[in-house]
Amino acid sequence: MIIIFQALFSIFVLFVLSTIVQKKKQGLLGKKGFLFWVVFWMIALLAVFWPESMSQLASFMGIGRGVDVVIYSALVIIFFLLFHLHIKIESIGRDITFLTREMALMDEKKNSKL
Amino acid sequence: MLLAVVPAYNEEERIACVIKKLQDHVDHIVVIDDASKDNTVKVARLAGATVLEHKINRGQGAALETGHEYARLVGAEYILHFDGDDQMHPEDIAPALAHMKEQKALVLFGSRLLDGRSTLPWFKRMILLPIGKMINFLFVRAHLSDVHNGFRLFHAQVLAVMVIEQDRMAHATEIPAKVIALNLPYVEFPIKVTYHEYGQSARGGFTILKDLLFSKFIS
Repeated sequence: MIIIFQALFSIFVLFVLSTIVQKKKQGLLGKKGFLFWVVFWMIALLAVFWPESMSQLASFMGIGRGVDVVIYSALVIIFFLLFHLHIKIESIGRDITFLTREMALMDEKKNSKL
Repeated sequence: MLLAVVPAYNEEERIACVIKKLQDHVDHIVVIDDASKDNTVKVARLAGATVLEHKINRGQGAALETGHEYARLVGAEYILHFDGDDQMHPEDIAPALAHMKEQKALVLFGSRLLDGRSTLPWFKRMILLPIGKMINFLFVRAHLSDVHNGFRLFHAQVLAVMVIEQDRMAHATEIPAKVIALNLPYVEFPIKVTYHEYGQSARGGFTILKDLLFSKFIS
């Protein structure tokens, strides 16, 4: 059973990695983002192929089970990404405001002697 | 030149009245229409104001900064923030400007609480304003008698150094915070507000708090 899951997960990670490389080539992903996602999926792969590695990490960190380490880490990462996304959206909002303002003033300049 | 900056969103019923009343008290009026769905633009133009049109709704803070940008372009000496919903009274403008000049201040904040002329709804007066005041103190570090009052006067020198970055309602906290951070002399002045609608809700207050917190992380 675990073998089937490992095989499916490997295919999925390969697909994700190819997408990451593609995005990097297209310039949609920066150096830091590229590195973050490659390392992230490598760690995920490590956890799936060697579940004991997570148990070792768990006992090192004083957490009961390996699976708990994965859940806690996933939660922290998800919260961080949500926060990051929110900031990004706000920042894009400000760019949109800037453009909206420029357009409003440009129209006025056209219509008057400004 | 005293320029009135009037942000407006869906104010077709009241904007003409506001412009007509303002005309005797200021030199020029610029209405910033924040992508209204009604005929605000047409009505405001017919009433004699210059109208700048936001193609997308960006919020009151964004509209005010568009007005500031216009003021910089036309070289206005004094800039007035005045609401487009006919709740403020233009008779307050001349004494406010005189007081600002007399006190040698560069900024004037209108206050509904310095005299008894404004009748605030109970929930707003007893609950929202005290909470708003506390939050304002945390971010602004100054005791202003009235939080989030839309009546403000600025000298052009202020616009040369201050840019409003909060697009939505948090600009009302951002402005005094920047005035204090930049060490600009300011005064408060009693103004009258007559309520037609309730205005800022408790939910709006949470949005302001969220905007203020997140803005700390935006470069």
